[in-house]
Amino acid sequence: MPIDIAIVGYAQSPSWERSELTEVQFLFPVIAEAIAMAGIDRRDIDFTCAGSCDYLSGQTFAFVSNLEAVGAWPPISESHVEMDGAWAMYEAWVALQHGDIDLALAFGSGKSSPGDPMQIYPLQMDPYTLTPLGADPTSLAALQARALLDSGRITEREMAEVAARNRRDAVANPYAQISGEEDVDALLASPYVTAPMRDHDLPPFSDGACAVILATADRARALSDNPVWIRGIDHRIEIHQPGMRDLRESPSTAAAGKGAGVADGPVDLAELSVAYTHQERILTDALGLGAGVKVNLSGGPLTANPMMATGLSRVAEAARAIQRGDGRRAVAHATSGQPLQQNLVCVLEGER
Amino acid sequence: MSEQPVVAASDSEQPVVMMDYFMHLEYREVVCPIVRRYADALMDGKILGQISPTSGLVYVPPRSYCPVSCEWLGEDHLVELEDHGVVTNFTIVTPVQYYGQEETEPFAKASVLLDGPGGMLGLQDILDLPVDELRVGMRVEAVWLPPEERTKDEIGNRSWGSVDGAIRGWRPTGEPDVPAEQFLDKVY
Amino acid sequence: MSQACAIVGIGQTKHKKRRDDVSLPGLVREAAQRALDDAELTWTDIDAVVLGKAPDPFEGVMMPELSMADALGAAGKPILRVHTAGSVGGSTAIVASNLVRTGQHRRVLTVAYEKQAEGNAQWGLAGGKSGGMGAGGIFAPWMRSFIARTGSPAHIGPMVAVKDRRNAVKNPYAHLQMPDLTIEEVMESPMLWDPIHWHESCPSSDGACAMVMTTEDLASASPRPPAWVLSTAMRSELGMFPGRDPVRPQAGVECAQAVFEAAGITDPLEQIDVSEIYVPFSWYEPMWLEGHDLVGHGEAWKLIESGDTDIGGRFPVNPSGGVLSSNPIGASGMLRFAEAALQVRGMAGEHQVDGATVAYGQAYGGAAQYFAMWVVGSTLDAVAAKG
Repeated sequence: MPIDIAIVGYAQSPSWERSELTEVQFLFPVIAEAIAMAGIDRRDIDFTCAGSCDYLSGQTFAFVSNLEAVGAWPPISESHVEMDGAWAMYEAWVALQHGDIDLALAFGSGKSSPGDPMQIYPLQMDPYTLTPLGADPTSLAALQARALLDSGRITEREMAEVAARNRRDAVANPYAQISGEEDVDALLASPYVTAPMRDHDLPPFSDGACAVILATADRARALSDNPVWIRGIDHRIEIHQPGMRDLRESPSTAAAGKGAGVADGPVDLAELSVAYTHQERILTDALGLGAGVKVNLSGGPLTANPMMATGLSRVAEAARAIQRGDGRRAVAHATSGQPLQQNLVCVLEGER
Repeated sequence: MSEQPVVAASDSEQPVVMMDYFMHLEYREVVCPIVRRYADALMDGKILGQISPTSGLVYVPPRSYCPVSCEWLGEDHLVELEDHGVVTNFTIVTPVQYYGQEETEPFAKASVLLDGPGGMLGLQDILDLPVDELRVGMRVEAVWLPPEERTKDEIGNRSWGSVDGAIRGWRPTGEPDVPAEQFLDKVY
Repeated sequence: MSQACAIVGIGQTKHKKRRDDVSLPGLVREAAQRALDDAELTWTDIDAVVLGKAPDPFEGVMMPELSMADALGAAGKPILRVHTAGSVGGSTAIVASNLVRTGQHRRVLTVAYEKQAEGNAQWGLAGGKSGGMGAGGIFAPWMRSFIARTGSPAHIGPMVAVKDRRNAVKNPYAHLQMPDLTIEEVMESPMLWDPIHWHESCPSSDGACAMVMTTEDLASASPRPPAWVLSTAMRSELGMFPGRDPVRPQAGVECAQAVFEAAGITDPLEQIDVSEIYVPFSWYEPMWLEGHDLVGHGEAWKLIESGDTDIGGRFPVNPSGGVLSSNPIGASGMLRFAEAALQVRGMAGEHQVDGATVAYGQAYGGAAQYFAMWVVGSTLDAVAAKG
């Protein structure tokens, strides 16, 4: 049986269209705030794991400077994944499973604004067959949306309704980049960007960061009267070649959800990495989330999408929602690869 | 990204095993506020650093934080540094050729510890000196470009101690060396 | 809770300047298939994959675990992608071992690679700008400081270069094969980054390394002797701040202390039979011997000069030929870890150190600021058995 681990601190930066600070500079206060929320000293942290991406910032070894935001002096026990911070949290969770340490920091950060994501993200695809075609995320998401529309599982109106609901919910989220009241008919009247995707179906690519502090059970209870427990965490990848997948389904999300124990109890709310409106349907179906589950109360990635921190932000937002009393049991989901190739699912539960 | 596949093997009898595929990605980054201050000061012939009140360490260029004490540094912590100092370490590089490399002859890169409040500039160019005469402990001074030739083009968030565009390099002052032993533990 | 982790399969590619006979997925599969064959397992036996490599821009493929998922048999499984600069191969192995030791998975495949010929690392390091100096330009001043601090004679670096190239001749996977290299030739070769000569620097290689790790109960069914993970440690420190000592980085000191203490090693020089240490430039052999407190200050050059770090010496270092003979960057750290494991399995072939039961693998990266280390043994009580 895994050791019980809880979230005792978390923090996010706002999602900016373009921050004038460097990645380290905007990460710095985020880590400090998560540490302050946990009520610990940074030197109490036994293990740190970071998630970031060299290609976003256009610099080899970009993650190295992020150590400065952690204050890696004296030396620390630390690791880095070239993945969303949610996977950094997984590695930190594994490190705590050894049972010989009790506090870990995980964070994710990214600065998308210097580059053009439509040019950069095709480099994630198979370098021999797909990158030369310029297989960009919008086009791949559009293929997926088209398949889903054609199967009758969603309509363009329902996609617009996801966008309108996310933007409305984001009004209350100080970290969101996009928010406001939208008229669904007006959204549907806008032109296609890449059919069947309209502007509202697509995410912003934000600058931003997120940090989470994990603690083992005794330490968590000593630090917080309201820790958020990680009841399960699992992640899976699936075949890369989009042509070999049924893009309407997300079997890797379903498998990770099963591994994390989503179905072991009622789910009150979910924070899902819905970067494209149609993906909400794919993900809720894969996770078996019914109509009663409140999805992306924060507004989700369609309103705040700090690449490399978007997935970890789902964990932080779900923890916040639980502590705020919006529900007791939540699902947080992170994704990587186009479209929805790799997925991580985490089940969170409040103390009361 | 521009796509320019080029068949590498010129001999058509040979099977093609490699194809060159050049990619071009452009990144445009806003220079952060503290580095803008630093760049403006360079244009005025001043080297700005930031000093941490807790650790006492001097950062040049300023970073807006001290990673050792983990405190945020602001305008109050700016300090004007001297434009002369001592070579504490160096290497002489025989340039490796790669796409975009313009250097062909061996060149020196030195660490310069500034006088006064301190501040260490790494990877500095040394001028007016045969590379084999460079030594640890040598006193050097900045060779500023004339004000009208100075440019901020080379200064960015990532330019690791750069004074490019304002200072051409550092030349020996001719003053006696500082004993090299003093700098054994000052590698940066 | 921590349980035992065994390495039951090890594979590596032939490391070469240019492996144009295989694609990127072909390269990693070559190593992974050999590791599976060694363990007599198949792709479907694997529960999870951990992939490591150095910066993505070196080959122009962003997050390659995504496009390689198919080739690595990872579809439907968890895959992690580690990146901790030059130490990444070591960190990747440690992350994989943690998945077994904490009971997350029963059989984990870990792979690390670099295909330098499909990109340009010098360009990548320079960010595409002129005046780039490569890693050697960063490290050279620190070697100069080490030499000055310790009074090491100038021929020590060249001696290490000759020793590692001689060892590489015994390793059929090694890239450089220079059986006749002499100290004089090293010292007469071009000075790339003073004090580093051409022959004192690592080559640029294409290559991959893979290991299969498993639990104690499954290891007992393995066809060949396992290597046991006795301890692991990772440490990182800030790369650049006034007063930092990059010649003897504190993270390296503390990482070594931690990994030896956890393995029950009190006298490394006596209790470790063989070491595989990340030495991309010859002077890093004495620098890490002292930087990890294997010997005292100013003692490393004497150990090397006396031939004690040769195969058959008192403290053999890099019998495989090391990074100086093969440098597929992302895989170089894992090769150190894997070669250490091969030694305690008694499967290192011609470069086997006789009777090795305890071995030390080390990798470092960044501005000498990331460290990954492990100690492996032929049995779980291999250190204690030495008395």
